[in-house]
Amino acid sequence: MLSSLCLVLLNALVISVAAGSDYHEQLLLRPLPQNTLLASFNFRSNESAAAFEQQNFRYFPRSFGQILQHAHAKELHLRFNVGRWDAENWGQRPRNGAREGGTGVELWAWVEADTEDEAFARWLTLTNALSGLFCASLNFIDATKTIRPVMTFAPEGQHANSSNLHLLHGTLPHEVVCTENLTPFLKLLPCKGKAGISSLLDGHKLFDASFQTMAIDVRPICGQGDASCFLEMEQTVDMVLDIARSKRPRDNPIPRPLPIDQLECDTSKLYNAHDTCYPLNKGTDPAWTLEEVFGKPLRGACPLTEQSGDEVNTVCINTPPERTVEVRTTGQFAESKLASDTVRCYKLPTGAHFDLVLPEQKMSTGLVRPDPQIFAARSINGHGQERGSTQSIIRNPSTTEAVEIVYLESLPWFMKPYLHTLRARVDTTYESPIKETYYRPAVDRKRGTHLELRMVIPPSSTLTLTYDFEKAILRYTEYPPDANRGFDVAPAVIRILSPQSGDNRGVYVRTTSLLLPLPTPDFSMPYNVIILTSTVMALGFGNIFNLLVRRFVGIDEAPALGAGGLKGMLLSKITRLRGLLGKA
Amino acid sequence: MAAESEQTFSETSPALQNAVKSSNQPPPETKESLWLRRLSILSFWAVVVFLGLPIWLKTTAIYRAELPLQEMTEWAEGKVCKPVFPLRIAVEAPDVSADAHHLLRTTQHALDDINDFSAHHLRLMLADPPLTANASQQVVSDGTRIQSDDEDVALLIRLIPVETGTTPRSHLQPFSPTLDVYYSPNQIPSQSSTGSTLATFLAQELHSLFAEEQAQLAHLLSTISGAHAAKVKALSPETSAQLERQSTRALKYAPTYHLTFSLFSPSYAPSAWDIETALRTYISPLLESFSGISNFTVDTQVQLYATFAPSVRQPEYDEETKAWTLRKEDLSGFVNAAEWPLSPSIGKGPTVNFIVYVPDHTQSPLLVNENAGNSWLIPQWGGVHILNLQSESDTPSALTTEMLAPAMHTFSNQLISLFGLPQSPASLPLRISTLERVRAASLIFSASSTLGALAQVYKKLPSIPVPDNVAQSTHRTIVHLQQACDFLRDGRFPSALEHARAAEVEAEKAFFERSMVGQVYFPDEHKVAVYLPLLGPVAVPLVMAALKELKSILKRG
Repeated sequence: MLSSLCLVLLNALVISVAAGSDYHEQLLLRPLPQNTLLASFNFRSNESAAAFEQQNFRYFPRSFGQILQHAHAKELHLRFNVGRWDAENWGQRPRNGAREGGTGVELWAWVEADTEDEAFARWLTLTNALSGLFCASLNFIDATKTIRPVMTFAPEGQHANSSNLHLLHGTLPHEVVCTENLTPFLKLLPCKGKAGISSLLDGHKLFDASFQTMAIDVRPICGQGDASCFLEMEQTVDMVLDIARSKRPRDNPIPRPLPIDQLECDTSKLYNAHDTCYPLNKGTDPAWTLEEVFGKPLRGACPLTEQSGDEVNTVCINTPPERTVEVRTTGQFAESKLASDTVRCYKLPTGAHFDLVLPEQKMSTGLVRPDPQIFAARSINGHGQERGSTQSIIRNPSTTEAVEIVYLESLPWFMKPYLHTLRARVDTTYESPIKETYYRPAVDRKRGTHLELRMVIPPSSTLTLTYDFEKAILRYTEYPPDANRGFDVAPAVIRILSPQSGDNRGVYVRTTSLLLPLPTPDFSMPYNVIILTSTVMALGFGNIFNLLVRRFVGIDEAPALGAGGLKGMLLSKITRLRGLLGKA
Repeated sequence: MAAESEQTFSETSPALQNAVKSSNQPPPETKESLWLRRLSILSFWAVVVFLGLPIWLKTTAIYRAELPLQEMTEWAEGKVCKPVFPLRIAVEAPDVSADAHHLLRTTQHALDDINDFSAHHLRLMLADPPLTANASQQVVSDGTRIQSDDEDVALLIRLIPVETGTTPRSHLQPFSPTLDVYYSPNQIPSQSSTGSTLATFLAQELHSLFAEEQAQLAHLLSTISGAHAAKVKALSPETSAQLERQSTRALKYAPTYHLTFSLFSPSYAPSAWDIETALRTYISPLLESFSGISNFTVDTQVQLYATFAPSVRQPEYDEETKAWTLRKEDLSGFVNAAEWPLSPSIGKGPTVNFIVYVPDHTQSPLLVNENAGNSWLIPQWGGVHILNLQSESDTPSALTTEMLAPAMHTFSNQLISLFGLPQSPASLPLRISTLERVRAASLIFSASSTLGALAQVYKKLPSIPVPDNVAQSTHRTIVHLQQACDFLRDGRFPSALEHARAAEVEAEKAFFERSMVGQVYFPDEHKVAVYLPLLGPVAVPLVMAALKELKSILKRG
């Protein structure tokens, strides 16, 4: 009951986003099991389409807007992702997975162009420009990493004004997302991390999180009439923090054991020595404050957000009603309770620090976490340097409803799947779950494999998808510097078509990325080859040459050199030298 | 030599001598087999020297397209094109008569006497007479017809006879290249006289109108190359320094400029400004008049929470003036380049930044200490204007067009000097056409010097590859330069500028060809090192056999 209520609320919050002030931001905190905390930041800025065309930027960042205009990108989604969402423990993904990407960097955009070639050229412009803006290797998204998905992605914005849109999608699973990507991300915000909830974002904590994803989404939104079109840019950060880990002070970040007298031991157990300790399972929610967990204080509201109306509640916390939440601030704030008191929201004071203090507390009730609609896992099987197979296991936990999904794989060209080995089995039925297949085979060094499957999983069943693949042997120069580490394969993207969620953003689940070991040569090989070939050629030449120009005589007729062999020759040379020295 | 060493050998080691004696001597070689061996060695060497080495060198050589080095160097040294600027000045007299022709002749004479810069030459011509008095009135009313008829005319002088006022007097129209000269009819020189007040007056006026342009061109010619120095008139050091300052301020020529207007504020207010109207009122007219030379894109942004760099000295409060002051030497660090998002605009062409900084109301007014000014120009980059708002209390959340007016005036002035527009004369079209000529000349020089640099690189670095498109670009540059130079000589400056622009673009393309730098760090030694495992073992038997055979030839001979 409670869980469904809070879900409804979250969706309501998301939908109310569509209209309103030019800039809006919100932070939603939700404690998760195992002493973790989910923090969802959302920043949204609007710019009217006319001002955008004339390049008069107010809340929309200029550098980003110009890139979009230059590349003719009408809608863009950019994701930076680190870590893995633990669906078994944490439940449903934040924002239904619509604002997260696969490990590394993921980018997809609708580009306006007359031809496919033009669209691809603009796509390259876009990736190169974004690469500079976000200090990420986005420029490595070339033809081999670009696909044009058919079923998986649908535009979120209204594109009545533009025709000839091309969807392009690229991933960089190997990219390590770090602070250098956060800094430009914060610079795009009007308050720049100096005020508002963005002042909580700190690279040390963000990239220390168990799971974190940064997303930028740009889409055009039109009102009823065509005149009121505007461009919406949404920046989101979702992170799962380990509370104990985050509370470590920055000057002493290494976990060290506490002195024995400060340990809290389970005294109900028997001890045979005084220096042992069974940890006490207190069954309480830990104490934390915003400043402790994020490492920085929340410096009041960003004054650009609207000061009245529905969207004044900038910080929300989703806890059971009995949980004590204290507010520590010198400024004026307002509290409101929503969804039968499971969500408490605060209007932040301007210009004063704001902190939430949650003491340690033993809880009798908890929130029921909604289960995700599917669980998905993918792995590489097989051994050897030549072949392998992948296996994806997708489970539908619902006992009543079948789930219809689109499964998208974007494989690098050097991983060549055999489509005839593609098998999809459901454990409860013999019927094939695959309804539709879209397959575009790879071309060596030109493009990667693009596989999209539309499948239906019956209630409480598990789908197993397997296919074999062959590993290509790369050219010497195509190996990266850390070739023996293996090659990353982009995560599979799963979109749930039905049951559909309330908004038009879709429900997505992504698997983890794969590490594919390829046969790796010895990198001194070319020089060895040069030397070996040269030696063989020189040997052949020397033999033939000597046969042609030497004079052959009987062994007894050979000149004196033969007498002592090498030794004799050396002796004669030495004596000759000695003679010369003696003369001199 | 060989025989002698043999001698020593036999003397010093009797044991070996015995061994030699004891063995059988091989039968003496026949002449045929001897020659056969020598021939086969020789043929091996021939194959290696005449076939192997050339093929090896050829296949491993770097492709270098042929460049017209001689021509390029000549352009760079200014031997090919000596830019001249013949300006045509049309004189419109109320009646075409012998008197008018005579006036023209005397004025031209007077003008040639004052002019000491031979490359810049003013030539007076009589304009077609207006058909009727009414038509003449029409011309006066719109003022553009004459220019559209013949755009190669630099200036139109209209002689208007008047009865009243001091004569002769002149009036330069600010928005058309027209000089109205009022004279009394008796000032027209008669056929017999050699000088007249009107002619001298005209000559003086023209000379002063074009004085700054002459100085600019002279400065340009003197800085470019010694070859021109001879005919360049001497400039006083002060003028020279000022022109130098002007030219270092000005942006390099580009076909497109991106203008970025940014509002920076240290707090959250003001977060909106009526920039669209302000730009339309104050900047667009200026940009339109420049549109003949370059294109412009304009974008604006609002940036809040913009703080000074921590390394820069913070503003100090001055009790006397009741103002916060910045020191002049700290102005260079005012723009916090690390944090303020002033990245260049995407697309070709340089970005010119104009910054409105609204100080926090606790730090207002903010002025420059030395001169109590509130704006300054950053050479080749843009301008900054500190907008001190009058309001006592909080900073307003939005700026109106009226509040922005002082900033916009500053920016249009800064834009003019960033653009390299001369300070005088008062007529904007004249200044722009002056800029056209100066730009054409400087583009020709810079394209030529780029060619020269390319020629030098070609000669100095024999290991860099030169692809064909560099040669093509070079040829196109030379063609465009030649055309630009010809048009300059004919006095057709817009076409000259166009070709000079194309030449510059091609020259830059040739010089900055990316594939040329790739192998700079891969010298010939590397090539030899890679092939040494083959060359070494092959060379040793060849050389040894050749030496041995030479030895035996010497021994026999």
